[in-house]
Amino acid sequence: MEVAASSDEAVCITPTPQPERTLQYYGVASGATTGQIHAERNGTVTLAQVPSAVSISNVSKTFVNRGRRGPGRVEALASINLEIESGEAVALLGPSGCGKTTLLRLIAGLDRISSGSITIDGHLPAEIRSRKQIAFVPQAPALLPWRTVAANARVLLEVNPNAGTKSSANVDELLRSVGLGDFVEAYPHELSGGMQQRVGLVRAFALDAPLILMDEPFAALDELTRADMRHLLIQLRDQRNSTLVFVTHSIPEAVFLSDRVAVMSGRPGRIMQLVDVPFERPRQPNLEDDPGFFAITRELRQELSKGRAAL
Amino acid sequence: MTNLNPFMTRLIRAGWIAPLVGVVLFAGLWEAVVRIFDVRPFVLLAPSEIGAELNATPGFFFENALVTGRHMLIGLVISLIVSIGVGAVMASASFIEEATQPVLVLILVTPWVAYVTSVVTWLGFGEAPIVFMVAFTSLPIFTFGVVGGMKSADQSTREVFASIDARRIDVLFRLRLPAALPSIFTTARFAMALGLAAAYFSEGAALSNAGLGAAGKRAAAFNNGPTLWATIVTTAALGLIGLGIIAAIERTALRWHVSQR
Repeated sequence: MEVAASSDEAVCITPTPQPERTLQYYGVASGATTGQIHAERNGTVTLAQVPSAVSISNVSKTFVNRGRRGPGRVEALASINLEIESGEAVALLGPSGCGKTTLLRLIAGLDRISSGSITIDGHLPAEIRSRKQIAFVPQAPALLPWRTVAANARVLLEVNPNAGTKSSANVDELLRSVGLGDFVEAYPHELSGGMQQRVGLVRAFALDAPLILMDEPFAALDELTRADMRHLLIQLRDQRNSTLVFVTHSIPEAVFLSDRVAVMSGRPGRIMQLVDVPFERPRQPNLEDDPGFFAITRELRQELSKGRAAL
Repeated sequence: MTNLNPFMTRLIRAGWIAPLVGVVLFAGLWEAVVRIFDVRPFVLLAPSEIGAELNATPGFFFENALVTGRHMLIGLVISLIVSIGVGAVMASASFIEEATQPVLVLILVTPWVAYVTSVVTWLGFGEAPIVFMVAFTSLPIFTFGVVGGMKSADQSTREVFASIDARRIDVLFRLRLPAALPSIFTTARFAMALGLAAAYFSEGAALSNAGLGAAGKRAAAFNNGPTLWATIVTTAALGLIGLGIIAAIERTALRWHVSQR
């Protein structure tokens, strides 16, 4: 695996760099396999992750329901092939029930693959998971109602502390940057849906993971909040350049967030088309008024309806 | 009704007036029945005479209430701790849950009054059999509360925990146990009521020196209606205090929960 130690993006740079203090790299050692580089700056260890690369080859998933009327088989995914490069953002776009969530769960190692293989930087998902190198954001905010915003944002750092990964993220700073600075002591039930999901984002980014997996996290929000959330997400992600896999059924969301859109169709779930999204990063909200943006959303809408016609 | 005095208005607003009326009417009816039908003191003692008995030797009933309260508290705490351990194991594997459930149901439905003597023979006289009975009888209720509550922990949050390979102990203490608290508090009320009855009866059966149950048993043996009924009323008061304490802890511990809003 190539280590991007020489490139500046891979190193956390504090907002006010002080020139007399030089940045020193620690030996990469086993970091070469875990995809991390440790850098020490004036006694404080920061950590920059090399974004993960995900390789999905020939993956199928069949669910077997042992019901009263004998076993029923549902073929959720059929021979999925997808190579996601380090630092790439890929959207899985498709109608409900096309298996996009199943595919995401397989990448996260939360479910077993029926056939084929998925590797993340050459390792099995379960291994990557045990090193806390996956930030998973489900559809519901999934906050702990008994914890304050600040405590919720930190909970994943407290869990499984011996995973060998140390996050350099500043949770307070993250909370401020998503506009929750005045709500750190609030409880989830005191927040709006959008604010709750922002806590969910901070909780995920607090891990400083090289791979972020998101399962329609903004699906339950109103259209305006939803747009704000994707702008916020892209800002957080583009600063870190983490690899992102984003499940959605919203075309503008898919285009705005990703470098490539995998258009899926259902029964069994397949990737019908991979569409490149050529816009530069970091992306700005006004991209959504760009004629090129409309052109790609139109193309994707046509692809999606083709998929529906094929059913 | 326009010129109610401020005190009365406040009582009505606080929602105290209806329960108060209910209790006063009930006591009045009780008093009337005892006087009109001339019921023997041992069968049913008039509230006024129970009050007089309590007033005559308040120290005696207070000290015995402390003993019974201690038996109940120790027993319930042991039961709660055991139920969290058993419940955590049950909630983690459905096979274990299915295997344990019938045993707990058996403990729940078997009339504990019938085997108290055997427990006393096994553990000897003194406090051990009393505390055992309180813990044993309340264990199934607590365990059902713990298991039900732990299984209600949010599925999405469990996935988030799984996505970073959270250890079982983390899932238990950071997710499942807090999620189970509301249902533990609900079942604690029933467990306490059962535990109190078990404490009272076992104190009598274990020939304990102190405790409301022991005092009641002695009074019954000497056909002393007033003392017997005074221990009964004191035990009920102990139960009310227990419920109040549970409600107070619940209000603080579950500030985040929808039931407390």
